[in-house]
Parts: sequence; structure tokens; C-alpha cells
Amino acid sequence: MAQKKLVQQIVFILILSSIIGLGANFHLIKKYFQGEFRQSFFSSEKFPSITFITLAEAEELFFSKDTIFIDSRPEGDYLVGHILGALNIPFEQHKEVKILTRLDLSPEEILVVYCDGSECQSSVELAKFLDAQGFKSIKVFFGGWTEWVQAGLPVSIENDWK
Amino acid sequence: MIGNKYLVFYFRIILGGVFIWAGLLKIFDPLGFAETIANFRVFPQWISFFLALMLPWIEVISGVFLILGLFRHASALILSLLLAAFLVLIVVTIMRGIDIDCGCFGSFSQKVDYKLILTDCVLLFLSLNIFFSKSDHFVLFRKKGILP
Repeated sequence: MAQKKLVQQIVFILILSSIIGLGANFHLIKKYFQGEFRQSFFSSEKFPSITFITLAEAEELFFSKDTIFIDSRPEGDYLVGHILGALNIPFEQHKEVKILTRLDLSPEEILVVYCDGSECQSSVELAKFLDAQGFKSIKVFFGGWTEWVQAGLPVSIENDWK
Repeated sequence: MIGNKYLVFYFRIILGGVFIWAGLLKIFDPLGFAETIANFRVFPQWISFFLALMLPWIEVISGVFLILGLFRHASALILSLLLAAFLVLIVVTIMRGIDIDCGCFGSFSQKVDYKLILTDCVLLFLSLNIFFSKSDHFVLFRKKGILP
């Protein structure tokens, strides 16, 4: 009997919390079912300078030559291989602040940030950081290194930014 | 287990307070919390999203109930299970070598490391102590507890 009461109370708390939680965030749920937040959890209203691009768009920007590619993976991964000409701004332990100061990029530059692929979030985190630093056009290439290599596009194992 | 009625009451205030605070910080930034869950790389995107909407409310409501003494055993058990789940998640994350913030307290979060395991264990001790305690002092409805 006691156990039954305990389970009933637990179920009551869980249902109550779920109803309030889902009700209070109804606007987000609506957006979710409209297709948002499938790749990353930020609202485009909050970060208007950030857009997500596909492999085809990344390739087009790569060959247009006026875009800077930024690899957000740790330096070790970057040195093993990266998109040809990409800079490395590892998003870890606040290294990005120092490196960005050293690179002295113009806020008007078109930036493409990427990491390993859809599993990693550091490109999105770096994009947010760059948005906060005043960059106007940041594109997250979510397919990242994995898709780029699979497509056989130009890569480099040189350190392209030192 | 500590059965002193004052200590059990203090435990309820501390644990309830910690979870209300932790939950409220996350309620104000559901998308930030969803991203934190996704960063653990354990759940698919849709689970991270819906967990982020519901989990903070479970924490706040259980915390409030715990302090008021309403459904205190059920609340303490929910919080114990959550803390046990967090513990597993922390250990797995450390073992996988993923370097991230825990997201436990919104923007006040600390790194996932061994100190976090200690914090979790202390809170788990408090919650289990409340769960197994028969003390029904300082509760909103002074009825016989659930446990025999």
C-alpha cells in the first residue's frame, strides 16, 4: 500500500512538472515542430548573424575565395588534417579569446566555422562567441571535417595560420 | 542515517533550496540547457530538447514540495534518482574524456570533474537521508509518512 502511494505521488509530481514545463515553453515546442532546433539549440532571433550551411554551400564559399574557414577543433586534430587554408581557433579553455585577438580579423569578413561533424558542438559555440565579438556573417558548416573529407574536397596538413 | 528532526529539516531546506535554485536558472534559459544536455553526447537531439523543458520543473517542484513537507518521500526519491543519474552521467563523461560544463546551475555551472562527483554524492546523501527518515516534523500536512 505504502509503495503504491509513493508511486502515485511520484507520478503526480512528474505529470505536474511536465504539464507546466511543456505549457510554459509552448512557443518553443511550436518552433520545434516547424523544424527548428534540429541541429542546434539557439533561436535565429537571438543570433541573427549565424546561419547553418550545407556541404554544397560550404564548397561554393570555399571556391569563392573571399571566405575565411575556421576550424574549432583542438590543435591536435587540426594538425592531423583540416580544410585547406582554414585557421584554427580551438574552442576550449578560453583559448579562442587570445587567438582571435592575435588574428585581428575584420568583423565584416564572411566566416565559415566547422568542427568534426554533426556530433560536435564546438563550431556552434565558437559561432556564438564570434557573434558576441561583433562578427556580422558567421556560417556554421555542420557537416564539418567528416563531410568535407568524404566529398574529397581540398585539405591540408600544414599549419595554415602560423 | 541521521534521524534528528532538526537536521532532517535542515537537509530538506538545503536540498530543496539547491534544486529550486538550479531549476530556476535553467527555466529561464531552456535552449541553453538543451544545448548543455546535447553536449554530453548521450541523448538524441529531440530527447535533449524535451528533457530541457521538463527537467528544471521537476527539480523546482520537487524542491518546493520537499521544503513544504508535501509528498516529501516521493520528492526525496525523485531527487535521489536524479542525483544518481547525474552521477552516472558525470562518471561516464569523465571516462570518455569530454571537457564540458555540467550545466547543473545554468551559467554558474562548473566543469565536469571529480569535485562535481563529490558535490553530487553529498546531495545524494542528504536526499537518501530524507527519504529514509521517519521524521514528520515541520511539514505542511502532518500526516503519517509513507514509509512504515
